[in-house]
This record gives sequence, structure tokens and C-alpha cells, in this order.
Amino acid sequence: MRNSGAVLILTFIAKLISQAAGVSPPGKPRLTSCRSPEKETFTCWWEPGDDGGLPTTYALYYRLENSETVYECPDYRTAGENSCFFNKNDTSLWVNYNITVVATNALGKNISDPVEVDVVYIVQPNTPENVTAVVVHDDQGPFVRVSWEKPRTADTRSGWITLLYQLRVKQEKDKEWEEYDAGMQKYYNVFSLHPDKEYMVQVRCKPDHGFWSKWTQTTYVKMPNYIPRERSLWIMITIFSVFIVLILTWTLNVKRKSVKLCLLPPVPGPKIKGFDKQLLKSGKSEEVFNSLVIKGFPPTTDYVDLMVEYLEVYDNEEQELVLDGKDLSEDCMKSKSLSDSDSGRGSCDSRTLLLEKCMEGREGSGSDRHQYSQHGETSWASSESSESQGPEPGSPESTDGRVKTWPVVFSSPQPQPHHHYQNGAVKPAYHSVPEILSHLSPLATPSNYHQLPPQQEGRFSKPACRHSQSYNQFNLDGVNPPVPGVSQSHSLEYVEVQTVDPQNMLLLRPLSDPNREPEGSDYAGEDYSRVKEVTSNNILLLQREMSHQCMNDYNQDLDSQADQCTTQQPPHPCKPAIHQLNSGMPQEVMRVMGNGYVDSTVLMPTY
Amino acid sequence: MKKTTVLQVCVAFVLCSPQAVTGSPVDCPDQDTAGTSCTISLEKLLERAVQHAELIYRVSEESKLLFDEMLISFGMNLHVPEGTMCAPKTVPVPMSKSEIQQISDKWILHSVLILAQFWIDPLVDVQTSLENYENAPSALVNRSKWMSSKLMSLEQGILVLSRQILGEGGLALEVPEETPERFVSSSSFETVRRDYSAIYCFRKDAHKMQTFLKLLKCRQIDKENCTFF
Repeated sequence: MRNSGAVLILTFIAKLISQAAGVSPPGKPRLTSCRSPEKETFTCWWEPGDDGGLPTTYALYYRLENSETVYECPDYRTAGENSCFFNKNDTSLWVNYNITVVATNALGKNISDPVEVDVVYIVQPNTPENVTAVVVHDDQGPFVRVSWEKPRTADTRSGWITLLYQLRVKQEKDKEWEEYDAGMQKYYNVFSLHPDKEYMVQVRCKPDHGFWSKWTQTTYVKMPNYIPRERSLWIMITIFSVFIVLILTWTLNVKRKSVKLCLLPPVPGPKIKGFDKQLLKSGKSEEVFNSLVIKGFPPTTDYVDLMVEYLEVYDNEEQELVLDGKDLSEDCMKSKSLSDSDSGRGSCDSRTLLLEKCMEGREGSGSDRHQYSQHGETSWASSESSESQGPEPGSPESTDGRVKTWPVVFSSPQPQPHHHYQNGAVKPAYHSVPEILSHLSPLATPSNYHQLPPQQEGRFSKPACRHSQSYNQFNLDGVNPPVPGVSQSHSLEYVEVQTVDPQNMLLLRPLSDPNREPEGSDYAGEDYSRVKEVTSNNILLLQREMSHQCMNDYNQDLDSQADQCTTQQPPHPCKPAIHQLNSGMPQEVMRVMGNGYVDSTVLMPTY
Repeated sequence: MKKTTVLQVCVAFVLCSPQAVTGSPVDCPDQDTAGTSCTISLEKLLERAVQHAELIYRVSEESKLLFDEMLISFGMNLHVPEGTMCAPKTVPVPMSKSEIQQISDKWILHSVLILAQFWIDPLVDVQTSLENYENAPSALVNRSKWMSSKLMSLEQGILVLSRQILGEGGLALEVPEETPERFVSSSSFETVRRDYSAIYCFRKDAHKMQTFLKLLKCRQIDKENCTFF
């Protein structure tokens, strides 16, 4: 008890003294690693701990697996400082070594932690040797062939140890190495290296189970300067294709037009007679199609039936048949009586019955015109007949009568469906007319037609009363429907406006009526005129062989039409001339009616 | 006509020489093979044996690693198993290269055979035991299965080899049948311990077998080079 206590105190004091003196037992050493280069020998290294200020010795002890015998390290020198080398005789494979290191100094000793080692699993070979890198020139291009030898100590020949090799390549400036696995062979071909560059090459090896060796020293190799065949081929191909592209471009340029024609064939315009592109573009399809329809073509009436007195009806907004325009008719009658064939009011006078409504200041005329134009060149003839039929109800007298139509000129471009031609009024001997009309660029200028009659007829009546208008009105405004019902008899019978009621009712009287004025009696078949040509102003020039002057006068008169109904006196002399004309030359001669109207139907070939 | 003839010949070829098509390594030169079947050459046999052993070793190494991971996941730490499995077998097996180089081919073959025969049963046990684990990785289970089957084929190969090298009856087939004690596990911990030690030790022995066979191959094929040292 006292001894132990004394010992304790002594050791404590010794410790203090030693600490004060700076000496202490050694620190704990540590085994860092054990390695075998060829699986036949191995070496272990340790790290000494603190030596405690006193000279310390280290000893390594090991124990084999399943054996309690402790051996000490046979060789402390071969492998250097703080190492233990086990030679072949001391190395047993597949056996675990239990190794410890003991540090001893004057004051004490210290034992490291034990380490279990199996030699088979701590193999780390030496580096490969004699690494050479050679440039080999090949058809495909130069490449580098790297070759080396196994580490001297490894016994790969007997198969005792199997080594796997690995090499890595990079340029001086690169950061990353390019690694290649060479397997068990001792050479390797490196391709795809850049020309005219210097490369660094290193090799290392590893047993099939173990650690990688260190990398060898760097071997340098320089690639020669060459153009990769691939690249030169691509350059050639590029140049060639560019060349071809240039040639193609130049050819295309030269043949620009034909190419354009081929790729973008011009869209053919419509070649339908009577088809107006402008109208189509404007979107009014109705008019377009209306203009295409040739009503009553082929004409079904007899030639005889061409002799039709037309009803000129002048309508206002209500679009009634101006037959009711009594005052108009009165005026008309008056003018009729006064006028001669050149008067422009001849329609009133002649057998052709002009239904007109001369309202004061035909302001509506303008609008009417519009309407007319809308409906296109509703042919006069058709319109007349139909229209005249339409408003029939107002004028019972006219019902039975035929309506004298002005067939020729206007019949052809008949968009309206009312087929007055059934009246027999029109005989589509109007052969020439359509042609003429077509020249007028029909659809585009429906107003043409409108112009014609008014200008012509304006003479016959109060100019403001656009006869054409009236006609048109009949056409347009749907007055048509009743027309067919009120179909006239086939033979043309003309009616004549007798009087105009105060209520604007036209009193009609059939031409066969003995009461009628004798003026137009022999006009039937006589008073037709032939259209000579159409001027640029969309004026129909009617042919008057005998009295050109008249026509000219007419034209002039027409041009100078005023809005208001003013009677104009066409030069009378024309009238008789016309009359003279009338007889006997239906085919060639322009028929001029007494009142100045011309009926060119006669001139048409009969069907 | 020509075409059909050629076609017939080809068909005949194909049908009558399946072996030529498959390219079997069996050499049947113009020997008198009356009754005896074609044999594989020694070189090819040794090559196959070495390949087998190498493969077995690689798989055993992978199994050990997998087992280690599994133990870590279990939370156990079996650093170094201490078991009877790794103990030296009844017949002393050479432990160092020098020893190996000193022994004869016969002994090499003998050693390999002993090892192979020793491990067949324990591997089967390990495999069945692994299947009972809760979270044993399937890779580990598959590998153990594979190892046991391949080991059996290796054993057969060794027998054939010994017959060829040593002749009939070359090997003293008096292998003392010392059945290793069947370890009856008491606890799961013990079971795991046992399995781990089995795999651990088998890995070592697989490497042994591989090394022995390689050496044997070298000796048989390339005598001059291998007798160096």
C-alpha cells in the first residue's frame, strides 16, 4: 500500500520532471503501407510518432494467420528508413499477416495498431520500362506507335503475375490527359493526333488485382506536318460544289424569264365573252354573271317579230311602269307631235311607245342611272319588253299590245332573266350587236347602254327623261316577274303612247289601232337603224346611209343633253330621208324610224 | 443447272459439317478414332481451366465487396473473420512462389483439386443462407449461385486435366474425406459471420487456384521459360 503509493508518486514526479525536461515515451507509430512489387516479396513502411526527445527504436513484429508465433522483421535496411522488407522466403501468399510496430525509448514504448496484410492483394508493380514513341507513316496518315517493356521484377512470363497496361497522351498545353487502355500488350498505336505538334506520353501498369504503378517518365514525340487526307478531300468537294452552284446560278440568271415562266405560269385571264375582270374583282359577282348570260340567244323569234314597237317607260324611284306617267305621256305626245325623227322625242311620236316618266328635274335620273349600271346592260330590248310588261297592271291597255322593243342593240347583253324575247319582240338576229356590244367592254360600262338610249332618246323626249333609264328601271328593279305572265303574243304588235294621264299613266294604243297616228304606220320594219360603231365615248353610232348628217346631229344632240327634259328638235330633214330608206332594204340599210329611232334588227341575219 | 448444283453442294456442306460451322475446338485429326471420341488438346484444356479460375476469382472478389457493403448497411463490422474456413487444409498447400515452383505438376493439380472439392459444399450453403437474408442484394445471391456452379465445372476440368497429364489413375484419389463441420448457426449474427468468412476465404482460395493453374499451364506449354527462377 505504501509502496504502491510511493511508486505512484514517484512516477508522477518523474513524469513531471521529464515533461519539464522535455522527454517522454515515444509516440505511437503508424504503419502507412505495405507493398509487394511482384507478389513474391513485400515491404512495409511506418511512420514514427513523437520520439519524446529520446532516442527511440522501432521494431516490427508480425504474426501469421492462425498462428500465435510472433516474428520480427527480418530486414530493416533494404527498403530504407522506417521500413521492413520481407524476402521471398518470408513471404507467404494467401496468408494474412498481422503486423505491428513498436517504438521504444528509455522511458517507455508504444505499440501501433495492428494491420492485416495479405500479400496477394497489396501488389503494386514497378513502372514499365523503356517507353518509346515512334511516328509511323501510313497511307491513311501518320500515327504514333508507343511501345514499352514490363517492369523488370514482374514475372509475367510464367503467368505468376498478369499485368495490364495503360498509357496517356497530351500536348504540353493541354490540361487533361487522353488515356488509352492497352490491355496486356506492350505496344499501342495512337491515331488522330494533330500534325506538327509535340506530345507527351506516359505508361503505367497494374496487376489484374492490385494497385496501379506509378507513371513512367515522360516521353516526347513530335508529329510531322501533313494535311489529313480527309480534309483535302473535303476541300476539293467544297470547291467543286461551289463551282457547280455558281454555274447553276449563272444559268438561272440567264434564263430568268423562262424559269419564271416555268415556275410561275401566268394566270390566264378569263376569256369568256362578256366577262369583266374588273367587275369580278370588285366582288359583285351577280353582275358579272349576269353579264355573261345572253338572254334569248339564240333568238327564237321570227324576223317579222322584230318589228316591235318598244315601250319606253320612264320610271322613278317607285319603279312603276311609267305607263302611268300621264303627264309624261302628255308631254311626250306633245313632243311627239311636234318632233320629227330627229327630235329625240321621236319615240314618243313613233309607233314605238316610249313609256317615259318625265318627272320634273329628274334628280332621280342620276340614281337611276346607277341602278341601271348595276344591272348591267340590261338589254334594252329585253328590259323593255319585260319591263313594259311588268308594270302592266297600271296600264291595262298596253297589256294586250305588244311592246315595241328596241331589240337589237340591247338585246344581246341581256343579263336579266326576263325573257322578253319570248314576246317575239326580239329576234336574235342581233348577231352583230353583241359583237358591238362586247366591244364596249360590256360589264364595265353598263352605263354605255344607258347612255346610248338616253342620248338617243333623249332627243325624242325630254332629255332629262332618260329613256334608257326608264327602260332600265323596268329591267332592274324586279319588275320583271310579272313579265312572263303577261307574255305577249308572239307576233309583235306595237303600242303607241297615246296620251299620258295626269296620273302619269301612259295610255297606250296598239299600232293596229286605227286611231293611232299615221305617222308611225309604216314604220314597222322601216324605222330601224343599224349600229355603225361605238365611239370611245360609248356612243352608238347608228348607221344612216342616207342621212349621215342626221346621225351626227343626233350625236351632238345627245352629247349636249341636259338633265331636264327639254325637247329637242332633231333636224327634220332626216326624218323623211329615213323614211325613204326604210323601204325595201332591210338587210343593208339602216332603218330609221320616223321619230329617229333606228332599228337595226332588220339588218340582222334571221335565225 | 450450275446454280442448283452449287446450292446442293452448299446445303450438303452445311448439313454434314455442323462442327465445321460451329468451329469446335475438338481436334480430330486423322487418328484412329475407332470407338474413342475426339479429345480436346491439352493446351486448350489448360487454357479453359485458367480462364475458369480467373473468372471464378473475379466473381468471388466482387462477392466479397458486395458482402462488405451489405454488412455496412447492416451496421456490422466484421473486419477480419476468424474462422476455420481459411485454415490450411488437410493437405498442405504451397504458400509461396518458391514452394510452388518446387512442387511438381502432380502436386499442383492435386492442390487445385482439393481446393475445388473443398469449396463446393460451403458455397452451396452460403447461397442458401443468403437467400434467407432480408435485404441481401440480388447481385450477391446470383454470384454465389454462379460460383458454386462454375466451381463444379472446374473440378471436372481438373479431373480431365489430371487424367491427361498424369494418365489414368495419376491422382491419388484418396482424398481424405474430411467433411468440414457443418456449422449450425445459433444466431443471425453468427450466420452472417460464417457467410462472410466463407466468402472471404473462398476469395483467397480462388486466387490460389488461379495461380496454380497458370503456373501449370506455363509449365506444360512453355517449359523452358517457366523453369526460370
